[in-house]
Amino acid sequence: MRFLPGIIPALFLLVWIMVSATGLIPTYLLPHPLEIAETGYAYILGQSGEGPYAGRFLSDAGASLFRVGCGFAAAVAVGLPLGILSGRLLVIHRLMSTTVNALRAVPGITWLPLAMVWFGIGMKTTVFLVALAAFFPVYLNAAAGARQVNPLLLQAGAMMGVRRLRGTFAILLPGAMPHLVTGLRLGLGISWAYLVLGELTGVPNGLGAVIMDARMLGRIDMIVVGILVIAVIGRLSDQLLQGSMKFCFKSARRIT
Amino acid sequence: MRPQLRALTFQREKPREKILEIDRVHKIFNGNGSFLPVLEGISFQAASGELICFLGRSGCGKSTLLKIVAGFIPPSSGKIFLRNKPVEGPGPERCVIFQEDALFPWLTVQENIAFGLKGRGQDKKSKAAEVERFLGLVGLTEFRNYLPREISGGMKQRVALARVLILKPEVLLMDEPFASLDAQSREEMQNLLLSLWQELAHTILFVTHDVSEAVILADRILLMGKNPGRIREEIRVDLPRPRSRDSGAFLQFSRRLHEALRD
Repeated sequence: MRFLPGIIPALFLLVWIMVSATGLIPTYLLPHPLEIAETGYAYILGQSGEGPYAGRFLSDAGASLFRVGCGFAAAVAVGLPLGILSGRLLVIHRLMSTTVNALRAVPGITWLPLAMVWFGIGMKTTVFLVALAAFFPVYLNAAAGARQVNPLLLQAGAMMGVRRLRGTFAILLPGAMPHLVTGLRLGLGISWAYLVLGELTGVPNGLGAVIMDARMLGRIDMIVVGILVIAVIGRLSDQLLQGSMKFCFKSARRIT
Repeated sequence: MRPQLRALTFQREKPREKILEIDRVHKIFNGNGSFLPVLEGISFQAASGELICFLGRSGCGKSTLLKIVAGFIPPSSGKIFLRNKPVEGPGPERCVIFQEDALFPWLTVQENIAFGLKGRGQDKKSKAAEVERFLGLVGLTEFRNYLPREISGGMKQRVALARVLILKPEVLLMDEPFASLDAQSREEMQNLLLSLWQELAHTILFVTHDVSEAVILADRILLMGKNPGRIREEIRVDLPRPRSRDSGAFLQFSRRLHEALRD
């Protein structure tokens, strides 16, 4: 069972190696895995100056993580409390739902031109796009979670003399926890997608920027490295999110 | 049963001071324009330490009555007094044991029992001792670290009992709490409830549709009729305690009640 998650990537790699060995696909379309590995090694561990991308990993990943972090944090700071409120209070739900659902129907990429006019190229535009995209899953799942908390649990709390504030933290949030975690995970996932979108617009650093830059220089090996790096960091950040939720909250540990 | 409780399972002198008064309670549900009377002119008093069963078929409003006494829903008219003070909203002096599982699924047995004590001005040590005592009283000391989903239905209701008894409620409101248990666990829970009641002397309002459950538990049975829900008859159960489920007197009493329920 332990090696089960590795099977699909291993098969994929195997097929790739075999296809490369036949020479049916030219290397400018699909480089050999070894070439990818070399580029990746240089990108992550090399000294800067050895090649166009050597040693850039840390600064790119740092810049991207910072952008994702800011955007995602903003989305959570607004989306989570607002979602909980809208799940519990009909007034807030009525106030929000039409607007939220209309905005949600707009593809995130549509905001890019406007964001570039408003915020220019770079950090602010990227953070704006990330925050906007991550808001919806966080908000909607928090609302659904707060709405479906078993009313019996809230009644039980009330009869045991629990007041509103403690009830919110001791009953409502733990009761909604599975949905909250789902919302956060979806939000973080989509944050990475919009990060790349924001960085494609010509910022100097960042994982999305590297990919765009590599495309213009025809360095397909570097594009693939960028994709792999984002896949790995995205997966790690998801695990980190889940892990820290479980570390911080009993309810995340026990009922999700 | 646990040895320290067995000694207490005789008839005991009960103080007969009035603790709860329900005064002409009516309840009308208002569903999309039509009015449905659910409870009509319910009046009764409960003495301190008394165990009253509400016996009736489904739809007679007995659960609604309990929710009104608990303060979860307001009566359409009429008043409820606890020690002569009007009742408004839920509170820890009137605790409820629900029919369904209402434990917090993310808390262990022990944490569920300790839940209501948090925020009460009491030092940690004495709280822990209380939790310990009630874990023992309901026989769950060894299961303290289990989560609700890991224990049986009967054990869940024991936790439900312990987590409210620890708050020293004046009145315990029980809404068919053992209805979803198998026959054997139900009997065990009835015995447990009786021994806890003998020891802690709460006033209990117990809703049930099970005749023998009412006869084994109650000092007094209020027989309810429906359309609209009302108290049809008051029956004092004068069988000596501890009551045996297969004594002639018990069976006779049950038969009489069955017939009364059918009319």
